[in-house]
Amino acid sequence: MQSGPRNSAHFFINAATVAAELSVVLTEAKNISLEAMNAKALVARAGDNVRTFKPITDFMVELANDTIWLVKEINREALTLSRNSLADLHSADAHERFKKAQERSKTAAFGDTLDSIAQEASNRHHQQTMQLRRHMRKLFELLDEIESRMLAANVVTATSRLEAATAADSYQASLEGIVVKLEKAANRIKHIASKCRHSLER
Amino acid sequence: MKVVKLHESRSHEWLVFGRDEERPSKIIDTNQYMIKTTNHAIMLDPGGIELFSAMLAAVVHHVPVQQITHLFASHQDPDIISSLGLWDKTLPHAELHAPWLWEGFLRHFGCNSIKYNPLPDEGKSIRLDEVELQFIPAHYMHSSGNFSVYDPQAKILMSGDIGAALLPDGAPLFVEDFDAHVDKMRLFHQRWMPSNRAKKDWIRRVRQLDIKYMAPQHGAIFRDRDVVRFLDWLDELEVGTGIA
Ligand SMILES: [Fe+2]
Ligand SMILES: [Fe+2]
Repeated sequence: MQSGPRNSAHFFINAATVAAELSVVLTEAKNISLEAMNAKALVARAGDNVRTFKPITDFMVELANDTIWLVKEINREALTLSRNSLADLHSADAHERFKKAQERSKTAAFGDTLDSIAQEASNRHHQQTMQLRRHMRKLFELLDEIESRMLAANVVTATSRLEAATAADSYQASLEGIVVKLEKAANRIKHIASKCRHSLER
Repeated sequence: MKVVKLHESRSHEWLVFGRDEERPSKIIDTNQYMIKTTNHAIMLDPGGIELFSAMLAAVVHHVPVQQITHLFASHQDPDIISSLGLWDKTLPHAELHAPWLWEGFLRHFGCNSIKYNPLPDEGKSIRLDEVELQFIPAHYMHSSGNFSVYDPQAKILMSGDIGAALLPDGAPLFVEDFDAHVDKMRLFHQRWMPSNRAKKDWIRRVRQLDIKYMAPQHGAIFRDRDVVRFLDWLDELEVGTGIA
């Protein structure tokens, strides 16, 4: 796990970009949700013919809901992180400027009156950095979670394929269609999640 | 940063900070002022963010930083007060006197702890220990909400951007040759000042004051007779020339 941004000057932009990219994931998750509805309707119509497909549609609904929730969480966290890293940047800047004033006023009669202020700025900067790291960790955890959901989705698509293959001929094509769409959506989400991770690690 | 004492009496001191050698070259040079009374100090147009470290370092040669209880911003420009966010961290208990017109705007620089004391259009006076300071309306000179500061005891008028001159690095802090100085001021006043009516109004107000030093935020300080010469020169000058 990444402990902190390497280049905080660009980090707040990256974090904001992550939030923007996630809107695509949200669309995909909504697609999964839609497909799950179709699948449910199909399963209800087909009755016993595709009974084994029922748990799969349930899983898809759950997956879609979880993903939507996670994306919203990540989005919120990414925006907080962006704001945080900007605050971190400001506090680092203030810290630097106070330090510089301290260095330049070494011989000043009242130079020592700056000490507590400079110290305060340094503490504030430290706190900001710690907070940034906390939010960062949280965001990576959420990305981990979304990725592991998508891995689970891959396992389920593999099982679903087998189920679809054994279903009655008249339903086979529809079921396979659903499986393909689920797979595509899961892969796209996985791809975006890892892209987000990379841009945060940059 | 160069520091010059403009006035010293039992009750207070006026200091000018300027001509910072470490100033990045593309930043307009500015004069910052501080009035130090028995228990307080006020900084007038404390300057831009890029100047903050140098200013803070220079100031503590003269006062403990906690003694600075007041700030004044003649208007909203970045060279005047973009350091506000850092002063806010330095002096959380201080008060900022600035035009009411700019409060919502100036707060963008960061003003979470410092108390914003909005100056009404007609101006007002404050007292720091035994010293009275008058905030004289200077609206549209050049900013639409703008004030000069007058100290009747020391007879100093801090005129903000009025009287500003664009001078080469290392130029003297006082006007030495008024006629030569005019060339360095003309463009600034013609182009930055928008209104002849506002100009007349400010001149009328200022002519009533007894002024020994007129201290602008850029360029050089006017002494004695040069103050009147400046007012006469400005009176004649056509301003607001940006419109072709
Ligand atoms: Fe200005
Ligand atoms: Fe200015």
